Amino acid sequence: MTKARKPNNDDVVKVDFDFRRQLAKKVEGNLASFCYQCGACVGDCPAATYSDEFNPREIMLKVLYGLGEELLVENSVLWQCTNCYNCAERCPQDVKPVEVIISLKNMLADLNIYPPTVEKIIGTFEKTGRTTPLSPAVDRQRERFGLPPMKPVPMDEISKLLEPASDEEDDAE
Amino acid sequence: MKPFAFFPGCLIPVRYPAMEFAIRQTLPKLGIEIVDLEGASCCPDPIYFKSKDKVAWLSVAARNLTLAEDLGLDVFTNCSGCTATLSEAYHLLKNDELREKVNRRLKKIGRKYKGTSRVRHVATLVRDEAGYDAVRESVVRPLDGMKMAIHYGCHLLKPSKIMNVDDPNNPEVLEKMVEAIGATPVRHRNWYLCCGKACQHEAIPLNMMHALLGTVKDVEAEILCLICPTCFSQFDHGQMKVAKHFNDDYHIPPVYYFQLLAYAQGIPYDKLGFDRQRFKPESLQRFATSSAQVEN
Repeated sequence: MTKARKPNNDDVVKVDFDFRRQLAKKVEGNLASFCYQCGACVGDCPAATYSDEFNPREIMLKVLYGLGEELLVENSVLWQCTNCYNCAERCPQDVKPVEVIISLKNMLADLNIYPPTVEKIIGTFEKTGRTTPLSPAVDRQRERFGLPPMKPVPMDEISKLLEPASDEEDDAE
Repeated sequence: MKPFAFFPGCLIPVRYPAMEFAIRQTLPKLGIEIVDLEGASCCPDPIYFKSKDKVAWLSVAARNLTLAEDLGLDVFTNCSGCTATLSEAYHLLKNDELREKVNRRLKKIGRKYKGTSRVRHVATLVRDEAGYDAVRESVVRPLDGMKMAIHYGCHLLKPSKIMNVDDPNNPEVLEKMVEAIGATPVRHRNWYLCCGKACQHEAIPLNMMHALLGTVKDVEAEILCLICPTCFSQFDHGQMKVAKHFNDDYHIPPVYYFQLLAYAQGIPYDKLGFDRQRFKPESLQRFATSSAQVEN
């Protein structure tokens, strides 16, 4: 298990509220506030079962303490989440740890920190409107099944949706 | 025939067109009319792009839903990931503040999200709109005695308060669908495990798949039946990695349910694209002569 940071005399319960405020601005980012650390999320978590590093209860605790600097790093443990939603099913407080983790990943994205595979797929989507790249071979395979060629996505529309509206509050700051 | 807007997503039409073919072949035989959505984009995916920016993710999802709203139709997908994104968007956008925020973005492209098109996965669409009996009646060669392990995957069922389709702790929809094509569903001990695709870690998904394939082998299933293209890629291509890593050999062909249904409805084995899989469900061919094959 990852060691929770041990408080010392100079540094007892020094909650970084700014980190928590930033997280709370993300969609469903404030849910960890309701966590009472029961650990129900851990038992059915496949990542916790197969990794010593990943523990959703500990991640929620770090959020409550405002220990953003331990989570918002390169190779963050957050990326070990399998997004299976078992934690959301088990949580008696409707915390949805998986959604808090995704909100934390949104904060990582604001810092421009991504695992390479993730960055590549996001790039493909932002460029083509799809997460799976097209090629002439794709249409040849489709033709074999009597399916029409893939049509391009109207990127003029998609690109506009990726940017905030002029009257939208900027979440990322 | 009852019309529904078809949202095919990216992975199936681009990488697994045989699955799309199977959907288009089987649904009309169950009284479901497929209406194509013009101008749809990626849902966007609930793992990668959602991790970048949830508001942008919701906005693009909402745009996709407005395409179905324009047609006045409910929407169905063939992928658990697309079902997750579109269902979650439908759910989250019931919140006034969030809907207003998303609609401010949609206004830039002259669209407005209303929340009038429900979202369903094709498996639950068939269950609810056609029913298991209609599936059974559409079958011309029942796959009698074929043991099939079932992989539900995560996003068909969970989060259950949003998906609202079955009991996530004891689901039955895929068992019933497998029974309707004459096969025998078998539940293996690790049936609830995730495929691990979303996890950005080398060892965790390998260990999970190793555990899961092991219990599928224990129950002597001939096929691993599933309904998600991402799970499929894990258990097809990924199975090779698992076999190599653990020096183990399973040879468990994963098969998308609607390809099995298409086969049971009489579509020839060699038209269903099984040759493209690493692990081919060759044992299906024992039913080839058991009944008249229908030319499509």
